Amino acid sequence: MHRQTSTPWQKFKQLKRGYFSFILLLALIILSCFAELIFNSKALLVKYENEFYWPIFTASIEGKQFGLEYEYETNYRQLKQNWEKNLSKHDNFVILPLVPFNATEVDLIDNLYPPHAPSLTSQHYLGTDTIGRDVLVRLVYGFRIAIFFALTLLFVEYLVGVFIGCFMGFLGGTFDLFFQRIIEIWSNIPFLYIVMIMSSLITPGFWSLVLIMALFGWMSMTWYMRSASYKEANRDYVLAARMMGASNFRIIYKHIIPNSISTIITFIPFSVAGGITALTALDFLSFGLPAPAPSWGELLKQGVDNLDYPWIISSVVISLSFVLMLVTFIGEAIREVFDPKHKVFYE
Amino acid sequence: MNSAYLEITMFNIRSFIPHKAFTNCGRWLSLLSLLVITASSSMSYAAELPKGLNWLDNDSSPEWSATKSEKGGLVRLNIPSFPPTLRTVGPDSNNSFRSFLLDNQLPLVEMHPNSGEIIPILASHWAYDKDRKTVYYKIKPNARWSDGKPVTADDFVFALEFNRSENIVAPWYNKHYSEEVVDIIKYDPLTIAIVGARAKPKKDLHYFYSIQPRAKHFHQLNKNWVNRYNWKVEPNTGAYQVGKIRKGKSIEFVRKTNWWAQEDRYLRHRFNVDHVLIKVVRDPNTAFKYFERGELDIFNLTLPKLWHEKSKGPMFQKGFIHKLSFYNQTEQSASGLFLNLENENLQDINVRKAIAHGLNFKKIIKQLLRNDYQRLPSFHTGYGDYSNTNIKPLSYDLAKVSALLESSGWKNKDSQGIRIKNKQRLSFNLSYGNKLHEAQIIVLAEEAKKAGIELKPQYLESTSFYKNVIEKKHDIAWLGWSTGFRPAYWQHFHSDNAHKPQTNNITNFADPKVDDLINQYRLSTDEKERIRLAHAIEQNIASQSIFIPSTMVPFTRAGFWRWLKLPENVATKSSKSLFDPFNSTTGGLFWIDAKAKVDSLSAKRSGKGFKASTMTNTRYKK
Repeated sequence: MHRQTSTPWQKFKQLKRGYFSFILLLALIILSCFAELIFNSKALLVKYENEFYWPIFTASIEGKQFGLEYEYETNYRQLKQNWEKNLSKHDNFVILPLVPFNATEVDLIDNLYPPHAPSLTSQHYLGTDTIGRDVLVRLVYGFRIAIFFALTLLFVEYLVGVFIGCFMGFLGGTFDLFFQRIIEIWSNIPFLYIVMIMSSLITPGFWSLVLIMALFGWMSMTWYMRSASYKEANRDYVLAARMMGASNFRIIYKHIIPNSISTIITFIPFSVAGGITALTALDFLSFGLPAPAPSWGELLKQGVDNLDYPWIISSVVISLSFVLMLVTFIGEAIREVFDPKHKVFYE
Repeated sequence: MNSAYLEITMFNIRSFIPHKAFTNCGRWLSLLSLLVITASSSMSYAAELPKGLNWLDNDSSPEWSATKSEKGGLVRLNIPSFPPTLRTVGPDSNNSFRSFLLDNQLPLVEMHPNSGEIIPILASHWAYDKDRKTVYYKIKPNARWSDGKPVTADDFVFALEFNRSENIVAPWYNKHYSEEVVDIIKYDPLTIAIVGARAKPKKDLHYFYSIQPRAKHFHQLNKNWVNRYNWKVEPNTGAYQVGKIRKGKSIEFVRKTNWWAQEDRYLRHRFNVDHVLIKVVRDPNTAFKYFERGELDIFNLTLPKLWHEKSKGPMFQKGFIHKLSFYNQTEQSASGLFLNLENENLQDINVRKAIAHGLNFKKIIKQLLRNDYQRLPSFHTGYGDYSNTNIKPLSYDLAKVSALLESSGWKNKDSQGIRIKNKQRLSFNLSYGNKLHEAQIIVLAEEAKKAGIELKPQYLESTSFYKNVIEKKHDIAWLGWSTGFRPAYWQHFHSDNAHKPQTNNITNFADPKVDDLINQYRLSTDEKERIRLAHAIEQNIASQSIFIPSTMVPFTRAGFWRWLKLPENVATKSSKSLFDPFNSTTGGLFWIDAKAKVDSLSAKRSGKGFKASTMTNTRYKK
């Protein structure tokens, strides 16, 4: 297919590195949505006295239910061990998830003190952190938080940034001047200090952190959208729409944004990378999501403070670099797809 | 940690002073000044000493230093950051380095580190007034500032003026030395009286109404004082004075040759090393590496990880570095969970008791703290006779939790196994401000969940944690208070401080019966009566389960290179650290065995080794 006539998606697919990175990242995100099935201290399936139980999907099941002495939630790892010792006597079984730990659980091993080194027998495949929580599990849940944080942040920032930017370019005049000054002033407020102050006043949560960061992050998109719509505003199709009586909002929404979509899309991957690093950095400095939420920044901090336990720092550095690399490859490919050079031919 | 902490820390201040250049002014100068003083003392003074004072001097308590100690050598310690100032009052002065300066500023009297009796330090005699507020002191005539000038009554009178001055920019001092220490009266150049605001038992008078002299000839109190004296070395009375300062890197203390008190009972055979070099090493891991390489001589190993894991390197195995654990009997920080009675569910004593029974400290101590730590029995532990040793903390017991909760109507459980009543879950935020305790808190919460109680760990950055707690917005807070000299009930448990922000009654506990006991405790000047009252108050508090004690550390541990020697008894009952260089009671007990140092260094070069040594001293273990 000729490049000039192919759709952006088709072009994107041809750029193998970016395309596979995209597939891989998408797979990771989807997988992380179902992390509870793979990384969980509850059992997937228990068969006890010819009855089946699905602990992950049901309310907590007390130990009494499975013939244990206690009235609190069953410890499935222990249950499995107990039952496997005398297999011949019964046909009960427990199927545990691949990694049988949850993100906040401290695994105490007799006569050993955390952090525990990576080991197949203890099923801590990447070891535990300094207080005994599984590193792999925290990486996975931390990834889920980080990526959805970055995506939410991106959505909020772009929603505000794109519209204000478009209106600035499209309307011009006082509105444009006013917002230019606002943005100039706003951009000069030191973001990190504000976050520090904010998080000492309130306990930051997922949404409040998105809000705080969006408050200081929407400006970057405005400049690009302002110049894009400035250019588009004088094109014939916009004038035509205006002549037909379309409202400003409709013109921007229906005509200008779709025609400058390439600008927006090109920036998305880099904003995602920015969002992930920003959250990681804040968590690293303890100003991000409150502990004990699983977080890459917090793991990174632990790793840096405890270089004697290399599995902590290496796991998180490798994961972080890998994800950021995927995002960057996608970004490069998208930039290439929308590169105007590919559309122009000289004969 | 909070205002109480700040107050108490400042309370502990003994005094201090610096000087310009370290001089060991000859005896001539001292004699001369003494003559001047004697001459001037014949002049009449306004104040006259009351008649019939019973002067005490206590020269019979046992000494605790080692007579065989040797003088000389250098010892290197580390601090995490360079002090922002050498002043001991005023802005930025409340830093960790200050204690090095303050410890070299001797107090008038001290408490014997083993027996608790009053012993003379800078004063030779003391006497009590009948009003129970005033103590008279005779300053030792040979007491000298580090610049050779004699220490006189004027320096004490000046100290009061100094501490009241706005020029030092220290509001707490201004307030304390106006409202608590009411007056300092000079009777003659070597006799003073310190007058306190309220009558107290005798020992307490020395502690609460103490003041450190300030060298009057050194200070010029004016608006520039704070800036002018930032890096000036103030004259002091202790065994060491600040020597070479390498800004940002190290501060050296040099032992005074012919120190005026070197032959005095309770101070002799102590403060043996010639030089104490305090190095700045920002990262504790790096500091430990320095220690292993022999660039630091002493390292505190109290943390379980350091003692059990990190201190296993070749220098330890080859016996170059010795390890010593020493049980002491000091006041323990009141640490644990503070239940806020403003929370509706926590107002029910059954729920509070259920929480106390639902916390598995045994597991934490065994599996996280390696059985090193012990369960803290009560709020004021280690306060000598004042502590009520009959109190035992509630232990983990799920059956008792069930019984207690069910009797209060928490009968059902929700899908996650948490108890519910009227559609409300039995769930509380457990806030904490120190990440070091995260593991303990998470394990506690997991164990409490088994009891049907949800404790949601909530980490808050330390300043916002402090704010949250002091404004009493918490459900349950995990923290520890700093220790004091005597149990302090009013600030923590009196209704005067309940349901008000910015006070230390963070449980909002208010009980007229306990209020009454606390008032009596505060007013009483009879020690036995106060002890009886303290026990009663403590019992009342414990029975309410508003404070659930966590753990305590009844020992101090250190690693040290083998040439450092300690007395036979190692340290004192009240030693908080084994190698404190300067403290007027527990410090300066160690010395350097020069021969052992030469031997060790040559053995190290030639790759030889000695027998590894890990010792535990349980002399004061309870």
